[in-house]
Amino acid sequence: MSEILRTVRLDVGYEGKAVISGVEIEALRGQTICLIGPNGAGKSTILRTLSGMLAPVEGTVYIKGEDLRTVKISALSRTMAVVLTEKRNMDMTTAYEVAAMGRMPYTGFFGRLEEADHRIIRECMSVVGAAGLAKREYHSLSDGEKQKVMIARALAQEPELMILDEPTSHLDIRHKVEVVGILSRMVKERGMTVILALHDVDLAVKGCQYALLVRDGEIAAQGRPEDIVQENTITDLYQINGASYNALLGCMELHNNNPISAFVSAGAGRGTPVYRALSRMGIGTATGILFENDVDCCIARSMQLKAVVQKPFTPIGEEQIAEAAGLIRQCRYAIDSGFPAGPYCQASLDLLREAKQVFTFRKPEECRGLYGSASVCFVDSIARLQRELEA
Amino acid sequence: MERNGVKTLFWFGILLVGTACVFLLNVGLGSVNITGSDIVRVFADELFGQSGVKDNAHLIIWQLRLPRAMAGLACGAALAISGLLLQTFFENPIVEPYVLGVSSGSSLFVALVTMGGFTFGVRQVTPLFRFTGAFIGAMLVMAVVLLAAARVKNVVTLLIVGLMAGYICSAAASILSAFAEREQIAGYAIWSMGTFSGFTWQHLPVLYGIVTVSLVLACLLAKPLNALQMGDRYAASMGVNVRAVRCAIILVSSVLSAAVTAFAGPVSFIGLAVPHICRILFHTSDSRILLPAAMLGGALMAGLCDFAARTIVSPAELPLGAITAVIGAPVVVFLLTRKDKL
Repeated sequence: MSEILRTVRLDVGYEGKAVISGVEIEALRGQTICLIGPNGAGKSTILRTLSGMLAPVEGTVYIKGEDLRTVKISALSRTMAVVLTEKRNMDMTTAYEVAAMGRMPYTGFFGRLEEADHRIIRECMSVVGAAGLAKREYHSLSDGEKQKVMIARALAQEPELMILDEPTSHLDIRHKVEVVGILSRMVKERGMTVILALHDVDLAVKGCQYALLVRDGEIAAQGRPEDIVQENTITDLYQINGASYNALLGCMELHNNNPISAFVSAGAGRGTPVYRALSRMGIGTATGILFENDVDCCIARSMQLKAVVQKPFTPIGEEQIAEAAGLIRQCRYAIDSGFPAGPYCQASLDLLREAKQVFTFRKPEECRGLYGSASVCFVDSIARLQRELEA
Repeated sequence: MERNGVKTLFWFGILLVGTACVFLLNVGLGSVNITGSDIVRVFADELFGQSGVKDNAHLIIWQLRLPRAMAGLACGAALAISGLLLQTFFENPIVEPYVLGVSSGSSLFVALVTMGGFTFGVRQVTPLFRFTGAFIGAMLVMAVVLLAAARVKNVVTLLIVGLMAGYICSAAASILSAFAEREQIAGYAIWSMGTFSGFTWQHLPVLYGIVTVSLVLACLLAKPLNALQMGDRYAASMGVNVRAVRCAIILVSSVLSAAVTAFAGPVSFIGLAVPHICRILFHTSDSRILLPAAMLGGALMAGLCDFAARTIVSPAELPLGAITAVIGAPVVVFLLTRKDKL
């Protein structure tokens, strides 16, 4: 794989003052490189320096082996395209005309578009799914549509390297996914190199081959996203309190550290919606007995719930049963999430006899004799559960 | 382009025919009635030198109306293009030489010459000297506005800076008038309201020379002007040498504004209104269309305003500045009140 962009001992910043020091990036053809970090960490500063809009404070940026400072601006515009965060009010201009601007590096003195240019513009617009917007006024488009048109414009420059600053911010979830999808397709199909800054950690991890964590004036870590993004990386990076990033599932979970008053009998993902509902209601939660390979266990840990856990693929042990029984007795009520009751989790079901009161998601006919003398309340939805708990 | 092709051609046709008609009206009509055949005779005389009779009609047509009408064409085109360039430069729809105070800079220089009697060591005030002075004045105010614009990126601030520059220049002019002769003051007052009546055959070659070169230069900027609409960073990423283009814009627009102001006085709002009217008529912001359109539109509008100034209360004359302001000021208000555009 050939190298497109490389930085050597690069310090980036403004007016001779380095904001981030020691940036070492090597971008190969067909690679997606992502900068992750909180607002104001310096992601944009790095991108501006890489694209030549900002002079490096120290060190050098090489584009295809040539020092960026000596590359002619006209030649650079055919190698590299950018998508920035700044929004323009392009009045009296159609989406097609905006995309057509991308042909400027190739057109003549008066910017006359040849048939070949028109073909490329149309193709770029349809690649990003904006073919239907061609005749619309640019300023009348939604944020997501505008962003697609701006990407089509960048693609029309036929670049080998595209640099994008927060291309998904302010977009709804559909457009976020679409934009990242378009970029990964360009990388795969055209061998383009993409360097971008992203807010969305999960999109970044899933869509990029290489990631850099930017924090406090330095590159905190860089490498394959799976290697560098762990449980605590994201919470540290963004200095998040009261929530954890679940690296395995790629999602954020809010902590629930309220005093425990509910016990959720869970498994096979049935517990997760109940955990989240109780957390919203401010009810401290204990849960069990969870096998370590269960998704409920994974979530419970991210939410910092008190969980009784059992090694995967082993029968539930005495110790776990005793611990769970203690918790259930201590709680005001237990909630049976309706997990599939296989032979290995019979103990979890039996434990519910110890509860003072049981809210269950099971059908009444399933529950005959299940909960012993505890008073039972049948619920069929989270809304119902919430109503019953509040009553 | 294909979609708008017919519409674009249609409006170009209208502007061209309109400009020609207004030009003919300006030559043909006035406080003194001159018949069509007389006009043809005067033109034939001058162009082919047949009879050589120099009567009143000849004097009025050839020495007064024709230079004035021709000056109107050039000044209108110059002001409109100057406005268009500045609007793109400042990414701001309500700037033009007059609003930014650039015309005032030129005015101050003219005031120095006409009322202060400053000739800066030159024995005779030639048209070119007048223009050079006006250009320096324009560039000085432009420098102030640019300094302000670099610090604050705010529409209103820019306007206020321009306004203040205008006040300072007119204050200086009124201080000069305190020491000036009555005659000089009257001359300056008439000039400062804007008029195309001061043009003679001596001025026209200078005006046309400067304006033609500048307009050609402006047209050469069409492609980078389009790119600049996306902002400096995008323009640079598409291969535009932003700094060079910005310098060229400032230079060309200042020259155009100074050329008009030196001879016709500060003419307001043509530079502001015409580019907008063209944008709306042609429904585009493509400079390759707007540049020629604004030239024609400016010539047409200047011709119309001058015609109105000459004929509404004929044989007396209204100040040109009053007519252009009446047409132009509402455009500013309209643009300012469209919330989403600023």
